[in-house]
Amino acid sequence: MSERSQTVPTPEGEYFESTRFAGLSFLLGSVALVALVLCALGAVVNPHQFSYSWLFAFAFFFTLCAGCFFWTIVHHATDAEWTVVVRRQLENIAALLAVLALLFVPILLLRHHLYAWMDIPPGHEAALDFKRAYLDFNFFLIRAIVFLGYFIVASQLLRRFSVRQDRDGNPQFTIWMRRVSFASLPMFALCLTFGAFDWLMSLNYHWFSTMFGVYIFAGAAGSSMSLLVLVITALRQAGYLKDVVTLEHYHIMGKWMLAFCIFWAYIGFGQYMLIWYANIPEETQFFIARNTQSWWALSMLLVVGRFFGPFAILLLRSIKKHPHRLCIVAGWIVFMQMLDMYLIVLPALHGTGVHVSIWDLLSLIAIGATLGFVYLRLVPRTSLFPVRDPRLIESLKLVN
Amino acid sequence: MDAAPTAPETIKEAERQIARVPLVLHRRNFSWLTERISGVVEQPAPRWWWVAFTITGSAATFGLFCIGYLISTGVGTWGNNIPVGWAWGITNFVFWIGIGHAGTLISAILFLLRQKWRTSINRSAEAMTLFAVICAAIFPGIHVGRFWMAWYLAPIPSNWAIWQNFRSALMWDVFAVSTYFTVSVLFWYTGLIPDLATLRDRATTRVRKLLFGVFACGWRGSNRNWRHYEMAYLLLAGLSTPLVLSVHSVVSFDFATTILPTWHTTIFPPYFVAGAIFGGFAMVLTLLLPCRAMFKLHDVITAQHIDKMAKIILLTGSFVGYAYTMEFFIAWYSGSSYERFGSWNRVFGPYWWYWWFGMLFCNVLSPQLFWFRWCRRNVLVVFFVAMCVNAGMWFERFIIIVGGLHRDFLPSSWRMFHPTWVDIWTYIGTLGIFTSLFLLFVRFLPMIAMSEVKTAVPEADPHYTTPPGIQSVSPGGKERPR
Repeated sequence: MSERSQTVPTPEGEYFESTRFAGLSFLLGSVALVALVLCALGAVVNPHQFSYSWLFAFAFFFTLCAGCFFWTIVHHATDAEWTVVVRRQLENIAALLAVLALLFVPILLLRHHLYAWMDIPPGHEAALDFKRAYLDFNFFLIRAIVFLGYFIVASQLLRRFSVRQDRDGNPQFTIWMRRVSFASLPMFALCLTFGAFDWLMSLNYHWFSTMFGVYIFAGAAGSSMSLLVLVITALRQAGYLKDVVTLEHYHIMGKWMLAFCIFWAYIGFGQYMLIWYANIPEETQFFIARNTQSWWALSMLLVVGRFFGPFAILLLRSIKKHPHRLCIVAGWIVFMQMLDMYLIVLPALHGTGVHVSIWDLLSLIAIGATLGFVYLRLVPRTSLFPVRDPRLIESLKLVN
Repeated sequence: MDAAPTAPETIKEAERQIARVPLVLHRRNFSWLTERISGVVEQPAPRWWWVAFTITGSAATFGLFCIGYLISTGVGTWGNNIPVGWAWGITNFVFWIGIGHAGTLISAILFLLRQKWRTSINRSAEAMTLFAVICAAIFPGIHVGRFWMAWYLAPIPSNWAIWQNFRSALMWDVFAVSTYFTVSVLFWYTGLIPDLATLRDRATTRVRKLLFGVFACGWRGSNRNWRHYEMAYLLLAGLSTPLVLSVHSVVSFDFATTILPTWHTTIFPPYFVAGAIFGGFAMVLTLLLPCRAMFKLHDVITAQHIDKMAKIILLTGSFVGYAYTMEFFIAWYSGSSYERFGSWNRVFGPYWWYWWFGMLFCNVLSPQLFWFRWCRRNVLVVFFVAMCVNAGMWFERFIIIVGGLHRDFLPSSWRMFHPTWVDIWTYIGTLGIFTSLFLLFVRFLPMIAMSEVKTAVPEADPHYTTPPGIQSVSPGGKERPR
């Protein structure tokens, strides 16, 4: 049954008091600063290892933020109701893509350590010469600018329209956001796919898979929904959104986590099984590197931890409607997304087995703390939910 | 950038655009819905129905004759050759399995997503699913030549010493399709029970009362009946949802597990599923638009429903276009000369027009019209695109299968595929079987889920009160102009 009566008054906007969390903000800022300085040191001391560590951390946070952007555009394109009350946080996280664009710069600077194809001159390897038109640094750079530029412009535009609507409630903004989202859907698919090809798949320029873009998307969508659960619960814990985000919303977020847990497994299994079954050397090399040596244990952990565990748990309604229990699953899924990105990036460097490096951890801390710091600066600027969205009442009255 | 027009008329227009439109138009009440939908079954068949049934029944009969001729004479009556094999049969099999996807998507996935608009179209889409799967099942059954040995495909105890190859994707297909069919039948039938009871209660002849009574399983509409029904429906929806993904994924494995250029590509599972939903929705529109016009169901299957289906066609068609792009890009990027040749041959080889017309124009370009609202709201445009997609999806399967086979690794083995009259008429025959079964369904069972549509009208809300000055329209009441 619904938790709410049929007539729900429009709540006033809720505002995050930055002064209450000044300590946390300061802590994150300081940690980010120190970690970034240490990372700069790592780029000098051990550039080869550091470049892979940084790419891993970048890919992890990029997929989370791009996933939140995806949920924002899907909300507008499908004219959904339930998302309204959590949309502002999706917009805030997606806005961090602008920061991530800056954090992409080290990858460009350290590109020669990451992408072997950049150092092989033409005429030395026929397999590479076939694809020179695509694997060319200038083109790579242009593509990166286009992909990141698109994510920045679209996410900022959507957030700006949404915030502007808070002021006057003009329904025209809803229509504009819908239009931006429609146009964004194909652009998102192409930018995420070719971004994944460029930044991750081309770590081994021999390997290819048509499914790779969809695989990255599946992980991004599921883990970003989990991140949203964590963020919303943290805000509720701090005393915000208590009368706005209900257990019904948690139930839906849990259902989407379950759906994308299954979808990720479906896509991952499809890609793995077809490559395993056909057994063609240029394709199997990717999985051989990840299924042998000590990498095997991590790969198994991913299969069990990213699918079987959360799948069984998320089937239970009692978990989906219990914020704290759901948070445990959500945190685990986000952790598994990190493992997934680790397994995509690091075996390209350590072919002989797992080799955990301090730079892996420092890169994660540096990017994570930077994004956390900027997020805390963004949140107080607007209401914590779109206070004058035309669908707000319907979202508040949500019943599953 | 932030300044939106604030003129009152602009805001009013924006509010109009984002306002929710009722799923049943003109305030039709419960009684009107029962009368109108049951009326299709209870009234004598209109003349157009007999004309249509004669045509489709004749095609079905001739198709069955072709199947009999094939079985009695042998597979030589088909245009099979080496290297292409029984391409025509597989093309038709995949085509029909694909058509059978939209029904379960609408009934299961849209149900789980709480999309109430599905209620107007789910019943007929589910029926269409069953008929399409029946048509699909014909082809693996008859292609073996020795039709009477088709039972080898079924799971058989090991002590019979018939060793099926469980490592073959074709074997997986048998399990996937039979499971899908079984669950789809259960789902369809479960949803039908309340409506069968309605027809039983309205029956004017003993035979009808007996038949509908037996199939309504003693439904009384009690609280307990509804509680059990809704739980069963939810569980079946949950069971059906993975089946929507699995069936066509397994069909795609038939091709993708091989190492044949253009067949072996990892994106095939979701690409086939998206293509199936795409083709399935096009067929739903192809069947429902004429039914809507003939049975005057405009208030139940509204422009909004058509608009939403058109959007799903646009989405899935665009995903199919994305998959085509990935195939071409990776074929080029892989550097494999076989993959590159396969892609080039698809576009510029002897079957070039299948690609340009079928895959590019019909499947990728024509649905792009649905970016425009006026196209989604124009029934003729929607019907045109739906027909393009129907044709395009058949061409797509043909070009995937024949295109991958007719240029063998040895150029001396290259050979074109030419269907015989038996091939062509068997396919036309399955079209006849499909449409005949659908016409029979429309005549004998409620084509719209009455009980479900009634949950989508405002009166279904227990807190609903009729606004002052407004009356719902009963069957005897004056019909409002559309």
